Amino acid sequence: MSGRARARARGRARSPSAAEVGRLHASPSPPSVGLGDSEVSSSSGPVGTSRISQKYGISAGDAGCTFKERGGKLRRDFVDLAVCTREKMAHVRNCKKGSSGIPVKLVTNLFNLDLPQDWQLYQYHVTYNPDIESRRLRIALLYNHRELSNKAKAFDGVILFLSQKLEDKVTELSSETRRGETVKMTITLTRELPASSPVCIQVFNIIFKKILKRLSMYQIGRNFYNPSEPVEIPQHKLSLWPGFAVSVSYFERSLLFSADVSYKVLRNETVLEFMTDLCHKTGMSCFTQTCEKQLIGVIVLTRYNNKTYRINDIDWSVKPTHTFQKRDGTEITYVDYYKQQYDITLSDLNQPVLVSLLKSKRNDDTEVRMAHLIPELCFLTGLPSQATTDFQLMKAVAEETRLNPLGRQQRLARLADDIQRNKDARFELETWGLHFGCQMSLTGRVLPSEKIILQDHVCQPASAADWSRDMRTCKILSAQSLNKWLIICSSRAERVMESFLNCLRKVGSPMGFHVEYPKIIKVQENAAAFVHAIQKHVDPEVQLVMCILPSQKNYYDCIKKYLSSDCPVPSQCVLAQTLNKQGMMMSVATKIAMQMTCKLGGELWAVEIPLKSLMVVGIDVCKDACSKGMVVVGFVASINPRITRWFSRCILQRAATDIADCLKVFMIGALNKWHKHNHDVPARIIVYRDGVGDGQLKTLMEYEVPQLLSSVTEASSNTSPRLSVIVVRKRCLSRFLTESGRTVQNPPLGTIVDSEATRPEWYDFYLVSQAACRGTVSPTYYNVIYDDNGLKPDHMQRLTFKLCHLYYNWPGLISVPAPCQYAHKLTFLVAQSIHKEPNLELASSLFYL
Amino acid sequence: MLKYQKCLEELVGVDINEEKFKWHGCKLSACVGDHLYPRELDLIITLYQGSVLEKDCRLVGFDMVTCIELIEHFDSEDLAKFPEVVFGYMSPAMIVISTPNSDFNSLFPYSDFRDLDHKFEWSRMEFQTWALDVANRYNYSVEFTGVGEPPSGAEDVGYCTQIGIFHRKAQATEPDISEQQGQHVYQVAYTTSYPSLQQIKYRRRVVVYETYREVHRMRRKYKMGLTWCELEADPEDSDNPRRKFTSDLPSPQPLKEAEKSTEMTPKPFCIGDKFYVPLERIIAYPKVKHLCGNVEELRALIADAVELNCSGSAVQVDLDHYADC
Repeated sequence: MSGRARARARGRARSPSAAEVGRLHASPSPPSVGLGDSEVSSSSGPVGTSRISQKYGISAGDAGCTFKERGGKLRRDFVDLAVCTREKMAHVRNCKKGSSGIPVKLVTNLFNLDLPQDWQLYQYHVTYNPDIESRRLRIALLYNHRELSNKAKAFDGVILFLSQKLEDKVTELSSETRRGETVKMTITLTRELPASSPVCIQVFNIIFKKILKRLSMYQIGRNFYNPSEPVEIPQHKLSLWPGFAVSVSYFERSLLFSADVSYKVLRNETVLEFMTDLCHKTGMSCFTQTCEKQLIGVIVLTRYNNKTYRINDIDWSVKPTHTFQKRDGTEITYVDYYKQQYDITLSDLNQPVLVSLLKSKRNDDTEVRMAHLIPELCFLTGLPSQATTDFQLMKAVAEETRLNPLGRQQRLARLADDIQRNKDARFELETWGLHFGCQMSLTGRVLPSEKIILQDHVCQPASAADWSRDMRTCKILSAQSLNKWLIICSSRAERVMESFLNCLRKVGSPMGFHVEYPKIIKVQENAAAFVHAIQKHVDPEVQLVMCILPSQKNYYDCIKKYLSSDCPVPSQCVLAQTLNKQGMMMSVATKIAMQMTCKLGGELWAVEIPLKSLMVVGIDVCKDACSKGMVVVGFVASINPRITRWFSRCILQRAATDIADCLKVFMIGALNKWHKHNHDVPARIIVYRDGVGDGQLKTLMEYEVPQLLSSVTEASSNTSPRLSVIVVRKRCLSRFLTESGRTVQNPPLGTIVDSEATRPEWYDFYLVSQAACRGTVSPTYYNVIYDDNGLKPDHMQRLTFKLCHLYYNWPGLISVPAPCQYAHKLTFLVAQSIHKEPNLELASSLFYL
Repeated sequence: MLKYQKCLEELVGVDINEEKFKWHGCKLSACVGDHLYPRELDLIITLYQGSVLEKDCRLVGFDMVTCIELIEHFDSEDLAKFPEVVFGYMSPAMIVISTPNSDFNSLFPYSDFRDLDHKFEWSRMEFQTWALDVANRYNYSVEFTGVGEPPSGAEDVGYCTQIGIFHRKAQATEPDISEQQGQHVYQVAYTTSYPSLQQIKYRRRVVVYETYREVHRMRRKYKMGLTWCELEADPEDSDNPRRKFTSDLPSPQPLKEAEKSTEMTPKPFCIGDKFYVPLERIIAYPKVKHLCGNVEELRALIADAVELNCSGSAVQVDLDHYADC
């Protein structure tokens, strides 16, 4: 097993920290241009608004209403909520709760928000006579009017929301501008909205945005951060601001406020410093290309205002001493402008300017404005691109951001306390009629633990998190013996390789994995020599190639690329460094022996699957590391009823392409494979779909599910398999903790939550299937969007839990069903190293482990 | 825009209408960039809800008071009280008062006042008479200017808005009397404090980051086995705009100085796989020098965040760092 592979496997399987850190840099924010304090937009006003709506960039959606955040960003998770999938599934319409397992009391990160019984939101439409273009002025005029000054309100320049009804349906107000012009404002009631309306949810979120700002938090992207207690990692030039991801929405039974601790990575590095560093690192010759490659697409934060911009280009021909035209038409140099406007003296007059395209809100979308930014005044944000491979950096970040359950609970309690104590926050809530209640507790269930089936032994592991000890002396289910294989290593690693080989043969035999002595090839320490040796010595009889690598760099990618696509042979890369660890040899050898068995098509263990003819499928999507705009779609399907053998396919395609098309091809391939092995089609198919972004649910329902269905029905002339599709999300805002005495802990493995924290419009549940040694476990969220199988919710939950036991790279439970994790592993390998479709000959082995 | 001025330390606003503050207030708070790049001096911004006709001791002792488009909203009674509060009581070194110039109104199509709440709009003559009188009474000098140039052909109407700038002639009374008998009449509507290098927390942070920056830079140079001059020189092809970008340090002049002063100090050195930079060398960099005067202060500031050698005289880092390769 290579070091990289191991780190990945552990990061995913054991601790939620990988996902946690992943979240840190996953929130780039577009430049926000909104100026008002509170802005709400909705296209659902009367017909008369359409003209103004267009002007303000509000588009009408077919769901009846679309919402826009400031800056014109759609809150995509709200769009998903409009896709009501549960009502189409008769068997869960009344009840989607399971029954098995022991009840457990859980604390959540959700807070009750109470509203008076008859609470309503009043939506008004405001027109100005004479008409006023400036949104700022529109807002100012309305806000300063006596009539409205003491009322709770949210206004975006066109649509006004009030929590109290005005006396008349149409109210005429008049106000004066500074220039003494009299402006008549006509406020017309357009709708009365019940608290459950999606528009209200949007308004509630705006109210909390205001409240968090009152608590001196800064909005960056969608989350709120507190600058007063930053965590500093100076050796990596990083500052981490603690904060919260918050949202208000309707859960199963009531309106809830959810808050999860989040960190924002800010870099203490200006773009100019970054460029200077890069210039020294790369030298002049390829500087501009490297620089453009690394900076374009990056989000920067300007020093002098609170705005973020995406870099679209670098203009090397413009210098700070050049002039530009100000809005009033006068020409000014950049140097003078920053001196006059912000009292900032630019130190480097030779720097180029960064170009950012601004989407103009006011005019038509066709007119794009450009902003020139000075590198010296722009801070980089988010983790640097090479950070994910910088182990030291990731470790430092993870150590600082990982919070244990108690720490997390304390942060939440403090936030709730701040909201309740702060005078302004309380006032804001009161005027809207909201009451911020207590933290919500609920009852979950802990599913019974699973038995692990080995060749001639069934064991009940001591801990479901890791059963490597329990299976130490047991034979695995099946293994091909390894007769003809190669080891390629440098002469420096020869000794350590010899002792490792002995170990491997020693641990192999009790497992039932026979390892013959390989052909050993010694090569020089460079990647080309390794690949050359492979090309020379691999023949069709070779079952596996093992490479002992001096370092990770270059070697791994070259070797994997050649052996996965050009010349399909399973390969095993091991870092020499891993073998040098004293006293670790036996456990390293055991793990590698297991991986090798899988790569040869062996099976390690199984769990009891009560359904007799079931195929499970995992789908994941991963961005290609090299070419932007390309994604890798992975598809892994089980091909035997025991769910121990897999068929794996993947494809590279443009990010814009619908993934539904390739799914059909994959599905038919998987069904053919199943037919070949079982002379039949499976009775049931359950698809676990990972890698779904916010706002994609509708696409899934409209394109992917029909595609999957049609490939399934085409597969058989008589009874076609029954299909279920489940969306899997590792990142969800909800957290569950168990209280024990005065402290809180992570919930036990197998904890299911299927009430209160779920959504009424979905057939959904949470499952905690992985252990977190440090930090707080994050549950995995499952949303069954299509279900022909009609399994009871209890059976669906338990089956999902069983599938979390079947990932052969880790002898323990993992956070997602095994097929999803396989699909992830496959797409990750392709996206990071191979960048090509792997050869079809490898499809029936887990060559990518 | 005032908040960007480096020299300001305290800004105060007074308005009678609290509602206005409520939704403008948060725009005044420090932005994210102010935390990453703290100001040199402290800055506190406070907004009070209250009337400028009432005395509040917290407004005594400022360098400057501005009353922009304010006096025309006073009736004659208030206008009479106003100078006593601002000139007599607050008594800042400088006062700026602006008001509409009614001479300019002839250019507007309508004949009304510019705002319905205006109680009067003065001609230049009326304003200057009032101003000179007030200045005399409270021992100020005054000069007049304005904004809003008149269109060509109508130059004789003067600026659209006339401005009087008052300077206090001498320290009139010691302001300490106010400290005792002062009253807090105004309500604080909003207050915010900016991060600055005066605050130890931010100074420490900036010093630590600067130290790391210099140490990393020196380590890279050490590893490349290059000297200062070679790195910085870029003689060839200076016409190509792409090549012009060297951007190492502001301009040649300070570079030379920095170079000279750093060359005098002990050089960084290497023992085993550790790289050491003497604190004396770090402090030779103008930016670090500016932030902490001597080696002791530098050591005290960075000791918690940076690994030092056992004698505490040099910063110690690993010679090899993954990100450098």
